[in-house]
Amino acid sequence: MLNVLMLGVGQCGNRILDAINKEAFGGGGPSKLAKYYLRPKFPSRVETLAVHTAVNDLKELRFTTAKDRLHVPNLHGVGANRNVGKQAFMDNRDMIMGEIEKRGDFDVAFVITSTSGGTGSSFAPLLINELKRQYRSITVITVAVLPFREEGSIYLQNAAFSMRELMEVEAEGIILADNQYMKRFSGDIASAYDKINSMIAQRLLFLIESLDSEMLSVTDLGDFKTVMNGGLRLATMGFYQADKKNTSIKDAIENSFKSGNLLYPANVMDDAARAMIIIQGSKEHLDVDEITKEVERISASAGHVFKGIVVKKGNPKVLSIFTLASAPELESIYAQAARGMQDEKEKRSRARKQLDDAFAHIEDLEEIY
Amino acid sequence: MRQLIYLVLLIMLLVPAQASSSKSSNDDETTYTDFTLGIGDRVEVGEYRAELIEIQSVRDGLAVMRISKVGGALDEQRALLQNSANNFDGGAEGDGITITVTDILDDQTAKVRLEYKEGLGTAHRRTAEKSATVLDKPNLLVQKSFDKSQVSVGDEVKVTVFVKNTGSGQAMNINPEDMPPLPEFSYIAGYPPKIKDTLDPGESDSAIYVMSAVKEGSLRIPAIQVKYTDTKKNVRSNSSEPFNILIAPKNKADLRLKTTASGPIQINGQGKLNISLSNVGKASATRVEVSGDVKPSDGLQVTDLEKSFFEILPETEENYSANFVGTKAGNYIILLRVSYEGGDGAQIQEGKAEVVVLEQEYKYLYLLLIIPVIIIIAWIYRRYREYKY
Repeated sequence: MLNVLMLGVGQCGNRILDAINKEAFGGGGPSKLAKYYLRPKFPSRVETLAVHTAVNDLKELRFTTAKDRLHVPNLHGVGANRNVGKQAFMDNRDMIMGEIEKRGDFDVAFVITSTSGGTGSSFAPLLINELKRQYRSITVITVAVLPFREEGSIYLQNAAFSMRELMEVEAEGIILADNQYMKRFSGDIASAYDKINSMIAQRLLFLIESLDSEMLSVTDLGDFKTVMNGGLRLATMGFYQADKKNTSIKDAIENSFKSGNLLYPANVMDDAARAMIIIQGSKEHLDVDEITKEVERISASAGHVFKGIVVKKGNPKVLSIFTLASAPELESIYAQAARGMQDEKEKRSRARKQLDDAFAHIEDLEEIY
Repeated sequence: MRQLIYLVLLIMLLVPAQASSSKSSNDDETTYTDFTLGIGDRVEVGEYRAELIEIQSVRDGLAVMRISKVGGALDEQRALLQNSANNFDGGAEGDGITITVTDILDDQTAKVRLEYKEGLGTAHRRTAEKSATVLDKPNLLVQKSFDKSQVSVGDEVKVTVFVKNTGSGQAMNINPEDMPPLPEFSYIAGYPPKIKDTLDPGESDSAIYVMSAVKEGSLRIPAIQVKYTDTKKNVRSNSSEPFNILIAPKNKADLRLKTTASGPIQINGQGKLNISLSNVGKASATRVEVSGDVKPSDGLQVTDLEKSFFEILPETEENYSANFVGTKAGNYIILLRVSYEGGDGAQIQEGKAEVVVLEQEYKYLYLLLIIPVIIIIAWIYRRYREYKY
C-alpha cells in the first residue's frame, strides 16, 4: 500500500485538497452533508494537510478535517508577496514540518499549489526542499496551477518566478494545470474553479488508486517517476470516462488526450516526451490487443508510453499522464509576465516622476502658520 | 308407814300383772322383718331357720332357700319366685312363717321378707360364718363393640361379639340374641354371630359380623343378650351394655378448585396460571379430569391447561400450572371444569380465572426513536467538530 501525502498549499492548493477530500466521500459529486454520515475512502493510506497563512481561507474548506488544516500565523495571508511568504515559511518551518512528520512516513507526496498566489507560490519550493531533505526516498510531485492571465501582473510575476523555483528544486516533476485553459470548458469563473478543482482531484485519486492496484498490465510508482522525469519534467494529465453509448477502449484512450479533458493545453503527439496511460474498466471492455495497438500508435510519436490496465467493474476510464518536451504556453506566460513587470516598472517610474514634479512645486517653500 | 308399804306392794303386784296381760294379747299379732341375705346367710325366728342357698336366676327372680325347724320337723329347700309369698307350716297366718323374696339384687344377694307371729319372738339374721359354698356357676361376660368409633354412611363396620365365661361353672347351650339395628345398618356378612355352644370357665369366644351404615343419624345400639344354662340346667343370661353411636353422612370427596393467574401481561407476554385442586372431603376423588376453556377464545393462547389425576386423597392437594400467551389486548376468562368421582357419583366443580392482556407497553418505546436520534446527533456533532475550524 502506498503511503501518500497530499499537501495543499495556499488558497488554491487548499481548495484542490478540499476537492480531493470531497471526492474521497464518493465520486460523482457527493452531497455537502456526506461528511456527516460517511467516511472518506482513499484508495491508499492518504494523509492530507492544508497549509495556509490566511485563516479565513482555511475556514472556507468544507471536506477537510480541522486537524488537517494548518494555519501558518502571518496576520491574514502574505498579500501575494512571495518574499513575505518565504519569510513566513522559514519562520514556521519547524511547525509545518512537525505537522507533516506527525502523519508518518510517505512514499510519495503531492504538493498542490497555485503558482500565482502568495502563500502557495512562496511556500511550495521551500516545502519541497524540506520534504526532500527530511524524507530521503520520497517522490515529490508538484501539482502547479497556472493563473488566469487577466488576474493581474503580480500573479503572472509570481507564476513566472515560482515556476522557475519549482523547476529548480529536486521534485520528481510538475503536473501543470492551467486555469486559463480549463476555464474555456467550464463556463463562469465560480463554476470553473469548482470544476477545475474537481478535475484535478479526480485525476489524482485515480492515479493513486491505479498505482496501488493489482493490474493486468503493471505500472507502478517507479514507472510514474520515470515518466515524470522525462522531457522538461513538466507534465499534465488527461482523463476520460466512457459512457454506455460508446465503450470503445480505443476511443476512450484518444478522448483522454483531447483538449477538454487535459489540465494543460498540449498536443500529446507533438509535445509529449514520455507518457503513462492507465486504463480501468470491466474486463469485457478491456481488449488488450486494441489497447496495445493504440499505445503503440501513441508511442510512435510521444516517446515511451507506460500502460497500466486495471480490471474493475464499470465503463472504461482512461488516465493519461505525459511529460512535455516543449511548453510553448509557459513561454507565453513568461512573456506576458515580463511585459506586465515592465509595465509595472514603467508605471511606477512615471508615478515617481509625477510625484517628484509635484514635490518640486514646494521645494523652496516653508510651511507658514 | 305400814300403809305405804302396802301401797308399794300393791303397785308391785299390779304392774307385772298388767304386763302379762298385754303380752298375751300381742302374741297373736303378725309382724314381719326385711332382711338382706347373702348366699349362706340365714334368719332365725323361734324354731325356724331360713337360709339363702343360691340365686338361681336374677332375671327370673328365682332364689333358692332352705327352710328348717329345730328338731327336724321341717327341712325344705325351695325355689322362691320373687314377690311370691311362700308359707311354711301354715304361714304367718297360722303358726308358721311366710317368706317372700322381695328383690334379687344380684346372683349373691336377695332381699327377703320374713312374716311371723310375734309370739315366735324376734327374728334375727345370722351371717354365714364362712363364705357360702361357691357353686359351680357359669357367668358370661358379654361385650359387643364396633371397630370404628366414627361411622359414616357407606362405611363398613365390623361388629365384634365377645363372650367370656368368667364364672366357675360351664356355660352350655349358649345362644346369643342380637337385635339388628335396622334400618340404619344393613348386614353384609357374618350375621347372626356364632358363639361356641359351650364355654368352660375362663374360656372365651368371639364372633364378628359386618354391617354397612346406610342411614345417618344417632341411634342406640341394643345390647346383645346371651342365654345359657348351667350344669343344673338353670337358664341364665347375660347382656352387653347398649351404647350410642352417631352415623355421620356419607363420606364424599369435595374438591376445591383454586386458580391464581399471574398479573396483567402485555401482548406477546407470557403468564402462568397456577391451579390447585384440594380435596377437603372425607373420600378420595378419583378420575379427576380438568378441562378448560377461554373466553373470548381469540387472543389468549393457553397451554397445559387440561390435566388428569387418577386419585386425589382426602386432605391432600394437587397443583399444576398452565401457561398462557397474550396475542390480543383484552380481558379473558379462563373457565375450568373439574369432573371427578367422589363417592357419590360423578361430580363437577367449576372455577375461573381472569387474565388481562394489556396493549403493548409504549413506555420506553420512545427510546427506540430518541436513542438513534441522539446517536445521530452525537455523530453529526462529532463530525461537525471534526470539520469545524
